[in-house]
Amino acid sequence: MDSAATSSMDWRGQLRRNERRTRIVMVMFVVIYLGLGFLFDVTINAQPSMGSTAVPDLSQVAIALLTFHLIPYVTLITGTVAIFSLWITFHFHRQLVMLGTTYKQVLPTSTVLEEKQLYNVVEEMKVAAGLRFMPEVYIIEADYMNAFASGYSERSALVAITRGLLTKLDRSELQAVMAHELSHVRHQDIKLTLVATLLANFSLIVIDLLFYTIFMGKKRDVRVEIVIILLRYILPLITIILLLYLSRTREYMADAGCVELMRDNGPLGRALLKIDGDHTANRESYAKAYANQGHEALRTTAYLYDPSLAGISAGSGLTSLFSTHPSIKSRLAALGYNTTKNG
Amino acid sequence: MSKTLITLLVIIAVAFAYIISVYNRLIRFIEEINNNKRQIDIQLDRRYKVFESLINVVKNYMDYEKTTLKDVVALRNQAQQAVASGDEQARMAAENGISKIANGINVVFEQYPDLKANQNALQLQEEIVSTENKLAYAKQALNDSIEKYNAEKKSFFQAMVVSLFAGKLDKQFDYWQLSDQDISAKESYTVKL
Repeated sequence: MDSAATSSMDWRGQLRRNERRTRIVMVMFVVIYLGLGFLFDVTINAQPSMGSTAVPDLSQVAIALLTFHLIPYVTLITGTVAIFSLWITFHFHRQLVMLGTTYKQVLPTSTVLEEKQLYNVVEEMKVAAGLRFMPEVYIIEADYMNAFASGYSERSALVAITRGLLTKLDRSELQAVMAHELSHVRHQDIKLTLVATLLANFSLIVIDLLFYTIFMGKKRDVRVEIVIILLRYILPLITIILLLYLSRTREYMADAGCVELMRDNGPLGRALLKIDGDHTANRESYAKAYANQGHEALRTTAYLYDPSLAGISAGSGLTSLFSTHPSIKSRLAALGYNTTKNG
Repeated sequence: MSKTLITLLVIIAVAFAYIISVYNRLIRFIEEINNNKRQIDIQLDRRYKVFESLINVVKNYMDYEKTTLKDVVALRNQAQQAVASGDEQARMAAENGISKIANGINVVFEQYPDLKANQNALQLQEEIVSTENKLAYAKQALNDSIEKYNAEKKSFFQAMVVSLFAGKLDKQFDYWQLSDQDISAKESYTVKL
């Protein structure tokens, strides 16, 4: 599958696909929530009423709820939660993806040579990619080498890079990394990745809340408890479906986009090798650094380099099971980068 | 209504839709080229400003600057005159001349340890590198957009639509490139040790 994926270089097609998938993910998110709420409503209403032992017919209850003879309170609540979550992701996506990190915005007026260079490099790639808006540039204060791009559109895009990456790469390697990230912006990968990861993580938070409130509460029907326990383990799996919409080829596409912008595969190849080697060499300390950084799951899918490739599991174990990053070896092969010639 | 009439109408409608889509796409490509040209202008203008401030810093260290500044100003004037008279070739030659001076300045930098230690000068050097890069990438973007437009324009079927609206769709754009004698000079260049 990997080799077949690299043969297509049509990023305009990728762009349309990403647009469509983003909409699908958003609709699916709302549908999952409404479905869950409805399940709750049916279970609650199907309980024997006071004094009687007769259990109401489930399909009758469902029809009554659908026709609003019985008011589906839970469905209304979960529906509102879903819409509210969408609204939050749209308005606070910047704060959300940076959650748990110490970061600093780099401005064009920066007088620190290193930071000015970073800004310049991003601007150069912006010119090459013909983007209309300059993305915001952030430095994350961390030793490990990684970078990601995020945002809802070209206009609201941001690129973030760790301090470790900034100091350990030379100018052209830095440029290659930024070209890779700006390709994500250009292909609209950022939007899909953002929506899918934020919404998937929201569901996990919400179900955890439900789980604990139910068991903190007083006497409850056994059936409701069973449903919630089941949900706690099934919902994460369902929301992983959202992550499955992430294209498995997007890293290859962004690598190809980088070469298209730089007309050279050397810098990206060297940068990837450096990042991979650095992660392997500092496995223990980086594992700690990733673990100490809160909410890593929000960024794992967006990262340039998936730390689990070096045996570091960041964020929740479940999402790393569904890693969407190809191995460095296959990425270098797709780049046509000769690893034996240059270490 | 007869079947043939319906078929005919459908074919006409499809052909019409196709012509419209080709027309709109080519117009979009032309505007992209125009926009990319402006982008080059912006970068050229920026570069001139960076040069002025760089030369002011370098001035304190060496005599190099006096003739260089004159050269840059002269080339800049040439370029502006070429723009006014619409001579793209002359303009490219003048701007490429400034690029050569930029490389010269970076070589001079290496020879003066004081200068290399000067934080201000270092930042200006980074600015020069970045500006030259941006200029190169802006040219690359322009050439790419011209290539995309030309390929579309000359393709089969699209070429027929273009001939229908030659005034609007058939434009000639020059690739940003070196002049022929420049290329042959570079080709015959060898390193003298």
